[in-house]
Amino acid sequence: MAAVAVAPERPQISLQQVGKTYPNGTVALRDVSLAVPKQDFVFLVGPSGAGKSTLVRLLIREEKASEGSIQVDGQELNRLRRRHLPYLRRKIGMVFQDFKLLPNLSVFENVGFALRVTEGALRHLKPKVEEVLSIVGLEGKENKYPDELSGGEQQRVAIARALVHDPKIFLADEPTGNLDPATSWEIIQLLLQINARGTTVLMATHNREIVDVMRRRVVAIDGGQIVRDEDAGGYHAPNLEPH
Amino acid sequence: MHRIWNRIDFAFGSAWQNFWRNAAVSIASVLIVWMVLLSLGSLLMVLNSLQHILTLEKGRASAISIFLADNTPLSSAMDFKLQLMRDSRVSAVSYVTKEQALVRFQEMPTLSPDLIAALGSNPLPASLDVTVKDIRSLADIDKMVRTSPLVDKSPATNYSPDVIDKIIVLARVAGIAGVVLIVGLAALSLFIIMLTIRTAIYMRRKEIEVMKLVGATDWFVRWPFIVEGLMVGVLGAVVAVIIVGLGYRPAEQYLQPRLVFIPLFYDPEFLKVVLAGMLAFGLLLGTVGSYLGVRRFLRQ
Ligand SMILES: Nc1ncnc2c1ncn2[C@@H]1O[C@H](COP(=O)(O)OP(=O)(O)OP(=O)(O)O)[C@@H](O)[C@H]1O
Ligand SMILES: [Mg+2]
Repeated sequence: MAAVAVAPERPQISLQQVGKTYPNGTVALRDVSLAVPKQDFVFLVGPSGAGKSTLVRLLIREEKASEGSIQVDGQELNRLRRRHLPYLRRKIGMVFQDFKLLPNLSVFENVGFALRVTEGALRHLKPKVEEVLSIVGLEGKENKYPDELSGGEQQRVAIARALVHDPKIFLADEPTGNLDPATSWEIIQLLLQINARGTTVLMATHNREIVDVMRRRVVAIDGGQIVRDEDAGGYHAPNLEPH
Repeated sequence: MHRIWNRIDFAFGSAWQNFWRNAAVSIASVLIVWMVLLSLGSLLMVLNSLQHILTLEKGRASAISIFLADNTPLSSAMDFKLQLMRDSRVSAVSYVTKEQALVRFQEMPTLSPDLIAALGSNPLPASLDVTVKDIRSLADIDKMVRTSPLVDKSPATNYSPDVIDKIIVLARVAGIAGVVLIVGLAALSLFIIMLTIRTAIYMRRKEIEVMKLVGATDWFVRWPFIVEGLMVGVLGAVVAVIIVGLGYRPAEQYLQPRLVFIPLFYDPEFLKVVLAGMLAFGLLLGTVGSYLGVRRFLRQ
């Protein structure tokens, strides 16, 4: 035991006995408690319908928890006023399986859009967009349109867009769901790089190979409950691993 | 400063795009706003005219002209005048000769010179113009003087008790019909603007999703649609204002010779107020319509 008690740092994301029941009666999460410290990298795994996306949606307050409480970067989401919600979202970068790019905007405009609509200073827009596009390795593709890009490149644009506000937290819901294995690895490398810059990363995924190779923290959900929370874990629980 | 500029630029840019992407619906809503404002403007101008006529008639109403037969000697006329002046209900009596009557008639602004020339020898009777203390005694005086042998029989007096009532009824009917029409059209225009805005929101749903995801505020998301509603209101208003503003004078000049006995009025001051009112009402319709469109749809 250390002689000097150091106050433990507050986790960046924290859930206590969280439950979520959708209006139609579906219970998507029950009694979920989880703490994710700053700069952690977490894989969220589980079968289809387990509640992974629901958990992610709770963190950006796209949905409200039915029970329990959630803190993100020190903010209590249950008590968050609607008008403060945009400022929470600016602290969180978020990407999806379907990228959610705007097809009528170029790569540059798609990324700049996130700054424009959050009223960032326009004179910083160009350098900022160029900076994040270089982080994701898309220099030279600024003027292309989403349908002229490969799936991996489109996901990079989405990641660049999620990075324009220098988020403290990066959430990815099956970011490699539409990508081939090689491209998936490139995206994972990018997320690791983002994590290495000090950003907390939480990634929901079905990608067994990646989870198994990475040996990072794995939180497994099944039927809306956390069934395993393991540092340096694999996709399946050790005792369930086929031979 | 750049924030406000960015917001304005974004809102107007998106609103402009929405308007033209959806041109058919947008133009339909401009047309309906235009109809509302045109009705409003016309109604106000008509009511204003009736109000003028009413004031004129009320002023006339406390007086009555008793027309004297052409062969009445002056002395008899003067006796009659004295008799009337002794009546406690009468406040003043003045004698108007045939010549004075003709001059007055010629001075009426709405008559064409041809009409006067066609009269030939002076057909106008001399008259005693009686002013009463209380309008309500006019009917009795009228009845009384008709029995005098001095009085011309065709017509005996210019007493016409219904004119004022008729104008009041006319103004009331025009007012009620106009208000019903305007309220109906205004409700319809709000509904159509709301539909226009909802269509625009539907077409922008992907953008809106992304905007919310990256942390745009509710008002940043709403502004383009409010501005689009404002554009519809302003465009409808501008067209209506131009039509009423430029068309009222010619309409009045066209109608006046055809409606000789109804004095029409051209009141530029009131016209300005009406035009300003139309513009304001157009803006109001646009804003309220788009707010209704935006309110329900952009929640969470
Ligand atoms: N908007 C909703 N309304 C009602 N039920 C929902 C809604 N979204 C999800 N569900 C239900 O909640 C449960 C959890 O869904 P969720 O999308 O969180 O699962 P998931 O783990 O992300 O699955 P997948 O791996 O297929 O993406 C499922 O039973 C699903 O049908
Ligand atoms: Mg999911």
